[in-house]
Amino acid sequence: MEYINKDLGSYHLHMIKTDKFKTIKVKVAFRRPIVKEEITIRNILVNFLVQTTNKYKTRRDLAIKAQDLYAAAVSSKNDRIGNYINTEIMLSILNDKYTEEGNFKKALDFLYDLIYDPNVIDNGFDDSQLQIILKSAKTSLEGLKEDSNYYSLIRLFEVMDNDRPSSYRLAGYLEDLEKIDSKNLYKYYLELLHKDLMDIIVIGDIDFEECEELIRSKFAQKTFKKCRSSYYLDEVKPRVRKRVVIEKDDNNQSKLAIGARLTGITKYEKNYPLTLYNIILGGGDDSKLFRNVREKNSLCYYINSVPQKLDNTLIIRAGIDKKNIKKTVTLVEKEMNNIKKGKVSESDLKTAKEFFATAIDSLLESQAGIMDHYYMMSLLKTDDIETRLKKMNEVSLADVIKVSKKVKLDTVYCLEGINNEED
Amino acid sequence: MKKINLKGLDQDVYVETLKNNLNVIMVPYTNKKNYFITYATRYGSNINAFVPVGSKKGITVPNGIAHFLEHKMFEQADGVDPFTFFAESGTGANASTSYTSTQYICYGTKEFSKNLDFLLKFVNEPYFTDENILKEKGIIKEEIKMYDDIPESVLENKLKENLYHIDPHRIDIAGACSDIDKITKEDLYLCYNTFYNPNNMFIIIAGNFNKEEALDIIKNRLDKKENRLSKITVKDYKEPKSVYKKEEELSVNIKVPKIGLGYKFSKEDLKLDDELELDLYLSMLTSLLFGSASLFRERVRKENLMTNFYYEWDDIKKYKSLLLYAETENPDLLVAEIEKELSNIIITQEDFERMKKVWISNEVKMIDYVETTVNNLYDDMIRYKKVIDNKVELIRNLDFNKLSKLLGQMKFNNRSKVILLPMKIITK
Repeated sequence: MEYINKDLGSYHLHMIKTDKFKTIKVKVAFRRPIVKEEITIRNILVNFLVQTTNKYKTRRDLAIKAQDLYAAAVSSKNDRIGNYINTEIMLSILNDKYTEEGNFKKALDFLYDLIYDPNVIDNGFDDSQLQIILKSAKTSLEGLKEDSNYYSLIRLFEVMDNDRPSSYRLAGYLEDLEKIDSKNLYKYYLELLHKDLMDIIVIGDIDFEECEELIRSKFAQKTFKKCRSSYYLDEVKPRVRKRVVIEKDDNNQSKLAIGARLTGITKYEKNYPLTLYNIILGGGDDSKLFRNVREKNSLCYYINSVPQKLDNTLIIRAGIDKKNIKKTVTLVEKEMNNIKKGKVSESDLKTAKEFFATAIDSLLESQAGIMDHYYMMSLLKTDDIETRLKKMNEVSLADVIKVSKKVKLDTVYCLEGINNEED
Repeated sequence: MKKINLKGLDQDVYVETLKNNLNVIMVPYTNKKNYFITYATRYGSNINAFVPVGSKKGITVPNGIAHFLEHKMFEQADGVDPFTFFAESGTGANASTSYTSTQYICYGTKEFSKNLDFLLKFVNEPYFTDENILKEKGIIKEEIKMYDDIPESVLENKLKENLYHIDPHRIDIAGACSDIDKITKEDLYLCYNTFYNPNNMFIIIAGNFNKEEALDIIKNRLDKKENRLSKITVKDYKEPKSVYKKEEELSVNIKVPKIGLGYKFSKEDLKLDDELELDLYLSMLTSLLFGSASLFRERVRKENLMTNFYYEWDDIKKYKSLLLYAETENPDLLVAEIEKELSNIIITQEDFERMKKVWISNEVKMIDYVETTVNNLYDDMIRYKKVIDNKVELIRNLDFNKLSKLLGQMKFNNRSKVILLPMKIITK
């Protein structure tokens, strides 16, 4: 596998050459510092771009065109990278070897059209198409609470991180949706093209020169942008005593979401000892939380932990019976404290390192995983894969115990299920 | 070892059947670092009445038992926890139960031989005690409750319950919390001994491994393993042609209404004997009718009639059911639109040929991932009991006239409809 990162002035072109896949993926990413009020309009924008264009007005026209290109797949998403909002439009297309000469080039034209030749009428986006998209977005925002698991997580962040970017709902807000019209959406689109930072990432069995030539000839952006603010959120002091918030809903199961803060933690600690700490606590297949809360105490079917390194938090989630909320929280605290007290073994550490190494190996078997890795590496200046493996192997048990003391439980949120058939 | 070339996909598959009729399917890749293994039995939640090993009389076991058994297989007499064992080499492990099968998987990049051997070992050595059964009940009940909180899962289960009168396919794979309480250690052993035999099982491996070495490990563990019975007798439910319940409305904790429509067809009436061919034509039909490039989708999109639409074909012995699910603010109107579409189906040869091209491209894409490869072979082993080595060719040879003829046999009037509505009053 070979990787090149080229600064083309207005954007970075990342090219990854590998013969492992029959597919070529091309990702165009735009990003800027996140503003709460812009999340919804950005969601609508990215939906609009991939559902209608100047050449292919309806979603059906677009679908037929994609099918004609030997099942080209287009996907899009908005997500948050710390203080930034990141928008991606991705094309996945079979290599010409498996289709016909010139198909990749045609697919690139298609991707270009999605982004640069939108369905515009009179200095505004086509309103008939926009109304369809707005209506559908309204329905899904109204239904947000139906996914109680996801909703509990949103609520935890809102309760714990009031007004920090980590508390923003990436699904968007109904009140912002109402403000969107074809004119202001088009204006926002032009602004995105001119002001957002941009990257293009290509992976597949490609020829670097040929690929660069193709991309350059198509994506000829003129503006130059510089990134100033940091991706990392500032640290917040944890509460002295944990805050417990319980809300009720008519569910069968109670969704527990616990938030901890990372304090006084270095970038090295975040990327290395903390990663292993999390695998040992609740991230791995054989974690302490899985073993004790699920297997020993039969309290849940799932329990896991995830660090949000850019936000300086660590989140633990489980689905439990409402009568066990307190007991579960106590057990989670006990497991966290045990690690702090040094009740963690060399074999726990070894298993965690193996888990990490396999995760890296598996990442290299996935095109999406490889693309993300290089994109993040360039954004966050993280280490390359070999360095990551090497440094991870050098982490000691003492390092893990030391970092465990910097993880402080802050907020316990539970969406209590009040519809319990056993009661 | 028989070598089979997956035509049009640039990939070889090796197949071996042991003396005890255990099937082994191996797909070695030369450019991968990872591997994916599944060890499976043709036993799922659809089997709840059968003649157990050592008996001549049929019995009925509690619902959800195949799934319960799957959970409990991870218990070992020597106390070694399979998750811990696999985790030591950074290897992932899991298991899943469907209506028709149960599988145990492990996947990783290291210690292939050790892990393959252990996977075979732990699935071959059940260890059930009253105590460990009791402990599992809490975990499984939370799993059931988790799904009960997912509206789509409630809708799907209800639709199947209303389509079928007596076939166990109408019951949720995991059973209900009340079923779980009835399950005993003796039930589990009985099911295990009846269905976990080499002649009812198979192994699929794909990725980075040596096929001779893998086969040696498998033979070493399983070659001498005998079948506890030569033929499994499962109760033949005489499922009637009609649907059990034509309509039902439920009030649940949702904000946007959801509909489920099920159309039940007797295979006999469809007059296409080859199961694989039938599946391909039926999928082709629904892709054309309801896929992203369909006229139907464009029409309902313009009218803002639905969000989150998906569909699938259900298969139980003598029946095929088309299941359609959608989220909509206007259930009645959407149902009317779907009925309109089904009462006057128009498909064109141009769309048909384009869809074939899409399907072939997708077959090529899928072979890049070892897990997808295993999953596809797995589905074929369950549905057709063999490796399908000419799928690309079969797709290429699909015939528009044959599809039109099949369509002529289909009457969309045997229907069950389920509507989920938001609750009017939320309890305090």
